[in-house]
Amino acid sequence: MIKLENVSYSYKKGFGLSNIDLTIDDGEFAFIIGPTGSGKTTLLRLIYLDILPDTGIVKVGKFSSNSIKKRKIPQLRRSIGMISQDYHLLKDRNLFENVALPLHVIGYSKSDISDLVIEVIDEVGLTGKEDHFPDELSGGEQQRACLARALIKEPEIILADEPTGNLDPVTAFDLVKLLEEVNGEGTTVFMASHNYSLIKSRNHRIVEIHDGKLRN
Amino acid sequence: MNKFLFLLGEGLKNLWRHKLTVFTAVFSIFLALTTVGILFIAEQNTQKIIEYMRSKYKIEVFFTDSITDKQAEQIVLEIRKIPGVYSTTLITKEQALQIYKSQFNEDLFEFLDYNPLPSSCVVNVTRKKDGLLRVDSIIDKIQSMKGVDSVNHQRRLINRIEKIYDQGLLALSAVAFAIMLVTVMIISNTIKLTIYAKKDLIQALKMIGATNSFIRLPYILEGIFQSIIGASLAAGLLYGAVYGANEILGQITTFTLPVQWSFLGWLFLIAVVISLFGSSRAISRFIK
Repeated sequence: MIKLENVSYSYKKGFGLSNIDLTIDDGEFAFIIGPTGSGKTTLLRLIYLDILPDTGIVKVGKFSSNSIKKRKIPQLRRSIGMISQDYHLLKDRNLFENVALPLHVIGYSKSDISDLVIEVIDEVGLTGKEDHFPDELSGGEQQRACLARALIKEPEIILADEPTGNLDPVTAFDLVKLLEEVNGEGTTVFMASHNYSLIKSRNHRIVEIHDGKLRN
Repeated sequence: MNKFLFLLGEGLKNLWRHKLTVFTAVFSIFLALTTVGILFIAEQNTQKIIEYMRSKYKIEVFFTDSITDKQAEQIVLEIRKIPGVYSTTLITKEQALQIYKSQFNEDLFEFLDYNPLPSSCVVNVTRKKDGLLRVDSIIDKIQSMKGVDSVNHQRRLINRIEKIYDQGLLALSAVAFAIMLVTVMIISNTIKLTIYAKKDLIQALKMIGATNSFIRLPYILEGIFQSIIGASLAAGLLYGAVYGANEILGQITTFTLPVQWSFLGWLFLIAVVISLFGSSRAISRFIK
């Protein structure tokens, strides 16, 4: 479960979020929607503790922002799969190596990694592209590679920060469907978007954010 | 173990991935260590020269006429106890007469009917001493001894040679230190540039739950590999150069460059330490 209790955060250069109360239940699929600069990314960064709230508490599973030790933050992040508009794929590694990276971080053996990577690459429909480097993949393929990298460690939560921002409508729709499949297996999905037309037809909760404040 | 092997592999692969920066770092380590190595060799040979010079330092002590050979022997024993004295040779009145006879082919005793030559002693100072050797205190102590008539010495010359040697050593150390400092800065900046270019990688690693040490280690290993390559190249060049120089010198003179090659071990150690320091310094700026 993700829970934000009266959370506020402000950047040095300006305002971030104000008095956010939000709960995402286990296994839920929720969208957060709002214009650029409204605070969606800040909210997601607070959830994976890239930043800590000025006031209030962020709770993710057994972790809490007010009591977590700095060295435990990587553990929290291992339970979260992150995908973003910019992909953050490593350009000097092929698809297989990019997807395998989280397992190296955890300390899996080479043979286990190989089996799991092939399985998850198949799950996102990129079989046959294992040796391709990010620049040799289309935008949609790069985003699915990103999803494969997030899924490989079987996370409890997927945080998606504008993952369809650089995709055409058809590819964007395919990605949302893929996320729904992942959610169908019990993973919580929380996706930020400013594309209302893409998400309005989906039967999921939509949280709206404007100027750092939630709107019902 | 799996993690360590992966990071070790990453460190090695990084050498290829960051070819240009690796080349810069290896080349600076190579240049710095070659210079430090030359200074090491110079220091070792300077040591030989100063030991040779010190073997030539002589202090001649003349005893008063009233001193018997027995008393002279006692004074010589006292002189030997002075710190910095390496050896003493007593020349009795009889021996002095014989030396005069052999050198000038004249028998003074036959001529004067008595032996006018005093007993004396030649003092050699210690050769193996790091830094400045002070002969002033030795001379002063000898001069103040009862029974000593006069002391012949090259105090001014010796002090001058020792001062030049001491200042030379200080200059060598300062140059070596400055070179190492510059190398640390170069390595640090090179790695900083590498890391700056890899901000995306660091961000991605953080996002997937990598610990700071997991992110740091490949860069530290990369730095160590660079230093080993740089040190190996420098060691090879120094060994080859000294070997070549000795081959040529051996053909034209009897003089060669004696080198204790154990210093190469120090060279490797210095390389690893400066690269560790340089890489840690660079990484700590980006990963806190």
